[in-house]
Amino acid sequence: MSVSSELQCCRLKGRWADWITSGLSTMRIRPWLDRESVFSWLMLAPPLLFLAAFVGYPFCYGIVLSLQDRPVAQPGVFVGLKNFATDLKDPVFWRVASNTFIYTGIATLLKALGGLGLALAMNQQFRMKNLVRAVLLLPFIVPTVLSTVAWMWILDPAFSVFNWFLIRLGVPKPGPSWLGNPILAMTSIIVINTWRGLPFYGITLLAGLQTISPELYEVATVDGASGFQRFRYVILPLLQPILLIVTLFSVIFTFADFQLVYVLTHGGPQNATHLFATYAFDLAMGAGQLGLGASVALSMLPALALLIVALTRYMQRQ
Amino acid sequence: MAGPAPLHKRSRRGFLKLAALGTVGAIIGPRQAPAAPKSLTLLHESSFIKTFDEYFQKTLVPTYEKETGIKVNYELTSVGSLPTRMSTITETGSGADITMTFLLLPFLFDEKLLDVSDIAEEAGKKQGGWYDAAREAAIVNDRWKALPFSNIGQLMNWRTDWFAEVGVTKFPDTWEELYEVGKKLKAKGHPFGFELGHGFGDNHGWLYPLLWSYGGHEVEPDGKTVVIDSDETARAVDFARKFFRDTMLDDVLGWTDVSNNKAWYAEQISCTNNAESILWLGKRDFPAIAKVTDQAQNPMGPKGRFHIMSAISHAIFSFTPAKEEARAFLRWLTDEKQLSGWYASADTYYQPLLHSYDNAPMWQVEPRNIPYRDALASAHLLGWPAPPSRQLAESVAKYVVVDMFAKACAGAATKDVIANAEVQLKQIYRQA
Repeated sequence: MSVSSELQCCRLKGRWADWITSGLSTMRIRPWLDRESVFSWLMLAPPLLFLAAFVGYPFCYGIVLSLQDRPVAQPGVFVGLKNFATDLKDPVFWRVASNTFIYTGIATLLKALGGLGLALAMNQQFRMKNLVRAVLLLPFIVPTVLSTVAWMWILDPAFSVFNWFLIRLGVPKPGPSWLGNPILAMTSIIVINTWRGLPFYGITLLAGLQTISPELYEVATVDGASGFQRFRYVILPLLQPILLIVTLFSVIFTFADFQLVYVLTHGGPQNATHLFATYAFDLAMGAGQLGLGASVALSMLPALALLIVALTRYMQRQ
Repeated sequence: MAGPAPLHKRSRRGFLKLAALGTVGAIIGPRQAPAAPKSLTLLHESSFIKTFDEYFQKTLVPTYEKETGIKVNYELTSVGSLPTRMSTITETGSGADITMTFLLLPFLFDEKLLDVSDIAEEAGKKQGGWYDAAREAAIVNDRWKALPFSNIGQLMNWRTDWFAEVGVTKFPDTWEELYEVGKKLKAKGHPFGFELGHGFGDNHGWLYPLLWSYGGHEVEPDGKTVVIDSDETARAVDFARKFFRDTMLDDVLGWTDVSNNKAWYAEQISCTNNAESILWLGKRDFPAIAKVTDQAQNPMGPKGRFHIMSAISHAIFSFTPAKEEARAFLRWLTDEKQLSGWYASADTYYQPLLHSYDNAPMWQVEPRNIPYRDALASAHLLGWPAPPSRQLAESVAKYVVVDMFAKACAGAATKDVIANAEVQLKQIYRQA
C-alpha cells in the first residue's frame, strides 16, 4: 500500500470515528455519564463482573455439584442433600471438622496476640526500624509451598534444628517425631501457620497504631496512666475495629488453608491434620467424587458465615 | 472535530475498530471444516528418570514428525497432579489428546477414554503376550481403555553392609524372618523405615501386599461385600504393629513419599519399600551408598508373596478431534522398535508388561533390578481381588487400609482399627 493510499484509508477510518463521537454527544452520553449514580455503577461494573465470573459462578457451581452424585467424567444425577447426609455419617468428616476448628481457633489466637505484640514493638523508635519491618514481612511474602518445604527439613528428625538442640539438652535420640505423632503434628502445623500469618497481623495493626494521635498518649501520661493502662484504655479501644477486621480475614484464610497441610503431611498421621480443604480435594480429585468433595468444601460455609455475620454486626454496633 | 486528527491517533482507532469487527466476524462467520491436525499433545508425568523424558523429546518426537509430519507435544506434569490435570481436561473437553494414566485412573475416566483394544491385542500378539497384571490394569468392562506401558514396581530396598553385620547376606524370605533381622538391626542403631503416613505410593506399596500375604482383603471379588473384618486381617495388623514397634523409626507414621528416600540417603534406615529410583539416584549422587544397596521381592506371608501393581498406561481422550491420529501414534509408539528404546532409556525403572522384554538386554544393565521383573507375576492393583471401581478409589483416597495399619502401629487395638475400617468401607460400598 502506498503512503498516499494509506493516508486516505486512515482518513476514512478517522471519519467513522468522528461520526461515532458526534453521535455519542448528540445522544447526550456525557451528561448521563456525569450523573453520580450512573458513574459509580459504571466503575463498579468491572469488579462485579470479575467477582461474578471467578467467585460467584464457581460458588454456585459448587452448590450444584454438592447436590449431585457426580463422578468425574460422568454426568451428574441430582440427589438432594444425600452427600451431606453421607458426610455426617463419615467418621473422617467429623475428625476433619474438629481439626479445622482447633487449627483455626488456636492459630488465630496466637496470631492475634503475637501480631499485637509485634505491632507494639515495631511502633517503637529504634535503629534500622524500616529494615526490620521489611524483614518481618518475609514469611508472608515467601510462597507457602516453598516455606513449607523448608519447614519439612526443620521438622525432620534427622536434620531438625529443634531436635539438635533438644538432644543436646538431654532428650534421647532421635528426639520427638514432629510429624509422626498426631498431637505434635497438629502443633507443628499451627506453629507454621502462626509463623506465616504473624506479619499480616503485625503490619496491619502497626498501620492502625500509627493512626492513633500521639497527643492521646501524652494526655494519658500526664494523667498518670501506666504503660499497661495506656495500652488498655487508649490503644486497645482505638485499635479494636482494625483488630476485628484482620481477625475476620485471618479466620477465613486459616479455615480454608490447604497448601501447608497438603505439602507437609497430606492430612496424616491418621487424619490428625486433615482439614476441610485437603479432605475435599482428596475426595474430589483423588477419588473422582466431585459431588461429595463439593459437599465437604461447602460444609465450611455455615460456620464461616455465622462468624462473619457476628463480627460484622459487632463492628456495626461499635 | 476541527482540522484533521493526527495520523497515529486515527490509525489506532481504526485498527481497534477493524480488530473488533474482525473478531465478531470470526465468531459469527461461517466455519471451515477443520484440517487434519499437525500436532498431538501427550500429557505425561515428569519422570523421575530424566533420560526417559529426554528420549521421548529428542528421539521419538523428531522421528515421528519426520515419518508423518505430525509433531507430538510432550506436556509434563508432576505425577501427583496428573489426576487433577486429567479431571480438568475431561471436564472442559480440551487440553490434550493422549494421557498417561496410572493405578485406578483408566477406571475412573472410563467413559471419556477411547477403546484401544485393537492396538493392545495386536501388540500382545506381536510381542510375546501381556502379563495378567496388564489386563488387570487396563481392561474396563472387557475393553482395553488404556494401553499398558509398564509397571513401576515397589520392592524391598536393603543395606547389604548393615544386614551383613547381623549375619544376613540374603534378603529374608518371609515377613517373620525380616522382623527378626529388623529387631537386631534396630538394636544396633539401623532401624527400618516403611511409610505409614498419607503419602501416595510408598505406603500402599507394602501395606496391601502385607495384608494379602496374610490372606486379608478389603472387599470380595464381587466388588460389594466388605470382608476386611477377618482373622487374616487381624494377623496382618498384629504383625504390622510389632514390625513397627521393634524395627522402625517412630517418624514413619508421619512420612510422605519423599521421606524414605531422604532417610535412605541420610543413612538413617537399613530397609524400606520403594521403586527402583532409590538405587538409580544413589548411583548418580551417592555412589558409596549405592554400592551397599540391594533390592529384593517382598517377603512371603502365610498366604504367599504379593506386590503392588502401579501400572502406567497411555489412553486417548474420546473427545479429541484427532482420534485417528492419536490411535496411529499409539500404534507406532507400541511398536517394538520405539518401545525398546524408550524402556532402555530409564534402565528398568519402567518394567515392561509384554513378555518379549523378559530377557531384554536392559535387564543386564543393572542385575540388582531383576527382582522388579520377577515381581510382575504376583502384582495386583490396589484393592485386589475386588475389581477397580469408584468405591475403591474413594477407599484409597480416604486411606482406609493405610490408616487401619497406622492406627494399630500408633497403639490402637486390632479389633478397634478393623471395626473402624469396616464402618468406613461399608459406608463407601453402600451403593455398589
